Amino acid sequence: MYKEINMIKTRKFMPLFLLAFSTTALAEEMSEFGQAVDSLSKSVDGFFSDYTGWFVSLIFKSVPIGEASFPLIVGWLLVAALIFTIYFGFVQFKRVGLAINIIKGKYTDPNSKEEGEVSHFQALTTALSGTVGLGNIAGVGVALAIGGPGATFWMILCGLLGMASKFCECTLGVKYRTILPSGVVSGGPMYYLSQGLSEKGLGGLGKILAIGFALMCILATLGAGNMFQANQAHAMLTYAFDVPSEYGVITGIVLASLVFSVIVGGMPSIASVTERIVPWMAALYVGMALIVIVSNIDQVGPAFASIVEGAFTGAGVVGGFIGALIQGLKRATFSNEAGVGSAAIAHSAVKTKEPVTEGLVSLLEPFIDTVVICTMTALVIIIAGLNVAPFDGNGLTGVTLTAASFTETAGVFKYLLALAVIMFAFSTMISWSYYGLKAWTYLFGEGKSTEFIFKVLFCLFVVLGATIQFGAVIDFSDAALFAMSIFNIIGLYFLMPIVKKELHSFIARIKSGEIKTYDTK
Amino acid sequence: MNENDNETETVTIDLTRTLLRDGPKFLSHKAVVMGDIAFLRPTITAMLFCVIYIVVGIFLMSLATYQLLVLSKYDFAIFLGGFGIAICTFGISLIQPFLSRVSFDRKTGVFNNHKDRDVKLKNIISLQINNKVIQRKHALNYACYELNLLTEHGRRINILNHNDQQQLLQDAELLGSFLGVEVNDCRREIVL
Repeated sequence: MYKEINMIKTRKFMPLFLLAFSTTALAEEMSEFGQAVDSLSKSVDGFFSDYTGWFVSLIFKSVPIGEASFPLIVGWLLVAALIFTIYFGFVQFKRVGLAINIIKGKYTDPNSKEEGEVSHFQALTTALSGTVGLGNIAGVGVALAIGGPGATFWMILCGLLGMASKFCECTLGVKYRTILPSGVVSGGPMYYLSQGLSEKGLGGLGKILAIGFALMCILATLGAGNMFQANQAHAMLTYAFDVPSEYGVITGIVLASLVFSVIVGGMPSIASVTERIVPWMAALYVGMALIVIVSNIDQVGPAFASIVEGAFTGAGVVGGFIGALIQGLKRATFSNEAGVGSAAIAHSAVKTKEPVTEGLVSLLEPFIDTVVICTMTALVIIIAGLNVAPFDGNGLTGVTLTAASFTETAGVFKYLLALAVIMFAFSTMISWSYYGLKAWTYLFGEGKSTEFIFKVLFCLFVVLGATIQFGAVIDFSDAALFAMSIFNIIGLYFLMPIVKKELHSFIARIKSGEIKTYDTK
Repeated sequence: MNENDNETETVTIDLTRTLLRDGPKFLSHKAVVMGDIAFLRPTITAMLFCVIYIVVGIFLMSLATYQLLVLSKYDFAIFLGGFGIAICTFGISLIQPFLSRVSFDRKTGVFNNHKDRDVKLKNIISLQINNKVIQRKHALNYACYELNLLTEHGRRINILNHNDQQQLLQDAELLGSFLGVEVNDCRREIVL
């Protein structure tokens, strides 16, 4: 009897003994694993820095202005946004009402909506939930860490001007999209550059620009749309839970597995789940920012004062106000992607017969993304007061600065932010994988094997991005994203008269009553 | 007495309408006929993609256990464990439909898909091939196809739903001849 009781007890505690033994053994294994991963991280980081340095230097070729080095590419984007703003007669300010009416469905027959049709409002919320991401969280953290509070002012300005660039490229994205008999839509700069310029008798130039854009789009996909996301997701885990940075490879493998199942397998369910969760994550992020701002409402005034003052004095920023301006413009572009051309790929899938309506709806994105949400993040960082001069990026930066600033108000925010960052990173990687795939198939043709090569490459870069150090990733991500704008904007200059014609025609048809208006109340 | 009561109510079934809103971007099943039974066999790749979630989920739960028992990091353990449980549960829910066999049995005279009420084979009057475009919020859209059946009582039930058009056409023909019913190609041009 006694023996039996002992046996039962032994059986009962056996799993616990086994668990204790296995976890101790696991601890030793993990220690060795940590060292191996650390050495791998360093070698990958070194390799990456060596082999992408030339590309980064080429894209960010700078000219000295005062104490600062002004990257020509930043000027290129700024001038383009200014030109589009003037050329379209300040469309982002004058036609906001029209854009809101389109979203409200004033020009859409409520009875003509087909099953499954995406309304402009849905398209906007969709695009916004896709736009709110690490650019708003980590990007603002970087901008303020290097550019000081003044960088926020230039981000806002860039957001306002960028609205015109986005209007132009998204209109063209729909106008020159290609719809296959199966219903699959292929659109974006590759198509409007080649077809649009061909119509103007510049087929050769169009082809060159389209190929150049597609090449840069692939690099940006692997950089900004992939490595940056994975890198910052792990950085967030490191901040929130003290996960050693060398374990980035584990984060990378987990993320890559999930991304692989979606992009290679095309699993509908995980994509649907992500689609449903991401808007809530965006709402959660905005809600947290509002709580911080409202609970420190007395500091909002001084925060705005420091933004305006920092924008023109550049106090504590390397290169003074030019330094603040550079950081503001760079990070705003990284966040709202205006002028880059990526949004045109996404917007080309909308169901509409009027390309300009999608352009008008899309111009609201940089406003909400950069002017509203990035400013909210900046206010949270400034209010927290953790980002102090000199702004040389040696202190807290990126997602860590933003997370630390949120945590100043409530400790629980770091966990919620970790959740949001991982979801944002995942959904952004999925979105960009399709942009990259479209560019890849444009260059190498459609086919199962060529597409599979890209998808596997993409997943490998997820692991790389989570493993290597921040500096190398962000430099490469920036360079690749900005490089897309070189080819895109050249084409936009040639094609902007077509957009203007579309806009004028649409407005004229509304005025003449050809386009009917419907009661939206 | 109401005048309308004497009128025969006419109901039109739109055979061009798809039954499911979503669909996978891969070949999920193939139709196989063995004697008196026709059934849908899930593809290995489809199963593997579901297994990924289960493996990742279990891995995260193991890491959470390690964090909890060895490092006593309660917050990270909860975070990892939560993710692990969610991903693993998701994987299990994904793989479940693949494990239950959808069959047309001529011996019992019944179609069983383990979801809808069983249908007598003699009541199946036609099969329809439908197409749709799946629109993703965070990805580009893609074409997807359905094979649906229609009963003489007007019920429509989905049989196949994937994006391999060629395989679906072959399977429709195979099942159509097995059941001895016509296959209607109800694909339509979708204007985006």
